[in-house]
Amino acid sequence: MEAGDSEIPAQEAANLEKCTDPYLRCAFNGAAQTALGVSGSALLAHSPQGCEYLVNNAFAWQECDYMETITLCTKLCEDEIVHGGEDLLARTIREVKGLPITALFILSACGPEIVGDDIVAVCETVQPEVKFRLIPIECAGFRGSQYEGIDIALEVILKRLIKKEGEKVPRSVCLIAPHANANPTWMADLDWVKQILSQMGVRVVATLTHKTPLAEIENVSSAETSLLLSHDAGQRAVDYLASEYGIEQICRGIPLPIGMTNTGRWLTELGSRFDHEREAGKMVSDGERMVMATCRRKWPMARFFYRTPTAIVADATVGIPLLRFVTEDMEMTPELVALYSAQRQVRELLEGELKDLGLNPKIVYGTDVYKTRRSLGEVRPRVVFGSTIERHASEGFGVAYVVELVRMMRQFRFINREYFGYTGILNLFEAVQNEWTIRWRSKEKRYEAKW
Amino acid sequence: MGRYHLPCVSPYLYIHSREKKIDRDMGTDSIVFHGTLQQLLEKVETGELIPRLQASHAPMCKFFTAYYVISGIRHVVPLVHGPTGCPLYVSDFVRTRECCEIRGVPLEPTACTSLDESHVIYGGEGKLLEAVKEAYTKYHPDLIVILSCCCSGIIGDDVESIAREAEKLVGCRVLALRSEGFGGDFRSGYEDAFKLIMELMEPPREKRRRTVNILGARWGPTTTEFNMDLDEIERLLGEVGIKINAVIAGGCTVEEIRRAREVELNASWCYDWGQKLGDLMEERFGIPYSKTGQPYGLEATREWLLGVAKPLGMEKEALEVIERETHEVEPHLAYLKKALEGKTAIIEITEFPGPIRALSLARMVEEFGAYPVVINVHPYTIKERMPSIKFLLETGVNPEIILTKGLFRLGSFRSSKETEDELEEIVREYDDVIFFGNAARYPPCPVVNLSLMNPAFQPQYGFGGIKNIAALVRQALENRNLPRSRLLRGMLYGSRR
Repeated sequence: MEAGDSEIPAQEAANLEKCTDPYLRCAFNGAAQTALGVSGSALLAHSPQGCEYLVNNAFAWQECDYMETITLCTKLCEDEIVHGGEDLLARTIREVKGLPITALFILSACGPEIVGDDIVAVCETVQPEVKFRLIPIECAGFRGSQYEGIDIALEVILKRLIKKEGEKVPRSVCLIAPHANANPTWMADLDWVKQILSQMGVRVVATLTHKTPLAEIENVSSAETSLLLSHDAGQRAVDYLASEYGIEQICRGIPLPIGMTNTGRWLTELGSRFDHEREAGKMVSDGERMVMATCRRKWPMARFFYRTPTAIVADATVGIPLLRFVTEDMEMTPELVALYSAQRQVRELLEGELKDLGLNPKIVYGTDVYKTRRSLGEVRPRVVFGSTIERHASEGFGVAYVVELVRMMRQFRFINREYFGYTGILNLFEAVQNEWTIRWRSKEKRYEAKW
Repeated sequence: MGRYHLPCVSPYLYIHSREKKIDRDMGTDSIVFHGTLQQLLEKVETGELIPRLQASHAPMCKFFTAYYVISGIRHVVPLVHGPTGCPLYVSDFVRTRECCEIRGVPLEPTACTSLDESHVIYGGEGKLLEAVKEAYTKYHPDLIVILSCCCSGIIGDDVESIAREAEKLVGCRVLALRSEGFGGDFRSGYEDAFKLIMELMEPPREKRRRTVNILGARWGPTTTEFNMDLDEIERLLGEVGIKINAVIAGGCTVEEIRRAREVELNASWCYDWGQKLGDLMEERFGIPYSKTGQPYGLEATREWLLGVAKPLGMEKEALEVIERETHEVEPHLAYLKKALEGKTAIIEITEFPGPIRALSLARMVEEFGAYPVVINVHPYTIKERMPSIKFLLETGVNPEIILTKGLFRLGSFRSSKETEDELEEIVREYDDVIFFGNAARYPPCPVVNLSLMNPAFQPQYGFGGIKNIAALVRQALENRNLPRSRLLRGMLYGSRR
């Protein structure tokens, strides 16, 4: 049995293993991803200089523009680890007090948290001297994975920034954790959701977080509903909003809208909540007609994969809905599902889908590179939906195609592509098509031309 | 620094008038330092020119650079004793993206003990010991290197003792490296990792004649450093008849490292990166180290090759190769002399910024008759490369240096608008200028694009490099009037409209 199998609770499974080769970054990185989604702000890493690279990664993940967003670092050295870095932090904040920003997020890394730097107290002391809000987030890497970091940062942001007395905006929604999605151009998924909501006359009060002004966050309590856009992180923020402000979570417990059935179900649920059943129905029928008509004209190679043994290695946000897409829309046979996450709600959602589809693949929760490779070697799928890592991890196992959908190591998309919704289906087909083309392109010529 | 004030006296008499003109026309507000390399070094040594802005540019930490070196050994498990954030950047960027995607390296593990809050409180030594055993069982490596991070360093986990204990329990060597991010600058990670590698070197069973090690490589097997420079060096050594035992650590095996003391001489693909290991091996094992700069241009290439061949008694063979190769590149050399004679070459290395390459290029353009002015080598990097800079000064490399205010700007290297404006201003102050840098700059003069990210003009070292640099200079001069991209400039520095 794989450590991390469904019978073993996630934390316990993680503790069984002493040596892993992880997919997920640390809490510090997740918190940085979240903070950098707030526009008009800057981020100060209270850390040694290496952690700044985790900030850089988060910077890219939120598609920040270096002409607008600045990231800073206290560059802690041995001195600060021995004597404490609070003075240095205060001095650094003062050093940047001229920045034209509305908020400065101060994120503490492992070192300063272990030595006991109190970043909250430093911020309180220095706050009167600066014009922008200081928002300390204690998010040392050892606190957990990047998903834990997203939850920590969302909690701080909500607790510190929401104005208590928000009047409810009718037919409104707050979007949660769109960035906890391994689609490398997840902003397109977010855009698709916003477009759908707009068509249904639903107002987005705030997005937590992506290009989100501080003012939007302050007004979160005015939202009637919340919509979680990730299966991996954000549920704690959703629960907090429900308990503190009576904000109702919608589309709870159903897979995100990837593929025909998931999209239809998700749109129907949304339409039902906002009394737009007819519009939702029309979106579904128009969308499905568009996909079929497009495929009729383009002839996707995806049609050749009937009952091909397949593996899905991804986050839960993409991986769980992809399972139905691969099974139903592409008629493939999923024989391995390896997810980065292992939370209870992820297990419940996946197991519900498997039962509904009548599938019994090998499941690995909280997978790492070692478990993925071992599972690929065991299952020997012909197609893998995953990342650049699986392209290399599946070498020697007779895998014909690795469709890179998540965590690509190089940016090869300039136009953001959604996986959600009906155009999302075409984008997934295009990814399969490109992989198919590369696979079948002649690598060498049988003879030389004469000219 | 006051207006019209000359920050220092230049040994080049003719610098004075240029300095005055530049400092006057640009306003000394933009110029932080203007003098020679020797003078800059003095200011860095006295601490006068080290940036005081805490929040300014942050290079990699010690852990990252230690990993870079260790990952260059085949079948090694770098076992990161820390939370998951520390290995992730390096394993994504170095392992998967660089090594697997463009260097033909199979996916090998980057393991981690994934320390959490309870380990921070109770200590992680027990888990580390188990992790070493597990890593051996899972991956069957030739070597395990424990790399400590901030967490394990602060809580005081004794990684060296665990390594010694673990080695008795597994079938391969287990080494430990204290590489806490806060524990030193980025250079110390490279150097400590190279030093650690020495522990694998066994007493020689034989002396292998005409065999060398190449030192100072990292980031896994060839091609290192994004280009084919190392290939060019290997090719030239091969032409002379010199064998290479190991490229340390650029895809070498543990067995090659074990036998590293059997060579007659150590050489480096870059004096700076090889220097520490070369000096240590010379000191401890008596293996001489060929001290030469980077082989840019004919003179430096000749020096580099003879620097290796002479101690091996192969000067004659090397001279034959040099003569043959020089003859082959003669038209390119003639072109470079004709094209660069009398020009001012402004040199700026912003890509993977380090001063050594800029200084090597300064030497090269001088060889072809141009007057070099190096701009914006960061004092931080000067400080970290002090021994190499001193070595270059000893060899006569002492160009004019200008540092501008933008170099010390708050924030990261991404924001380079200020230095771009300053570069444009500087270029306007000189006559007959040619810029050696990369195409991300838009000075009002011909631009020689020395980007390492364009394989079309690689290598830049050696005789192959002479051809490529000549081609780049030709492109710059002959197409100087072609329009530059408003699109790419807008992307980098914002739209002017």
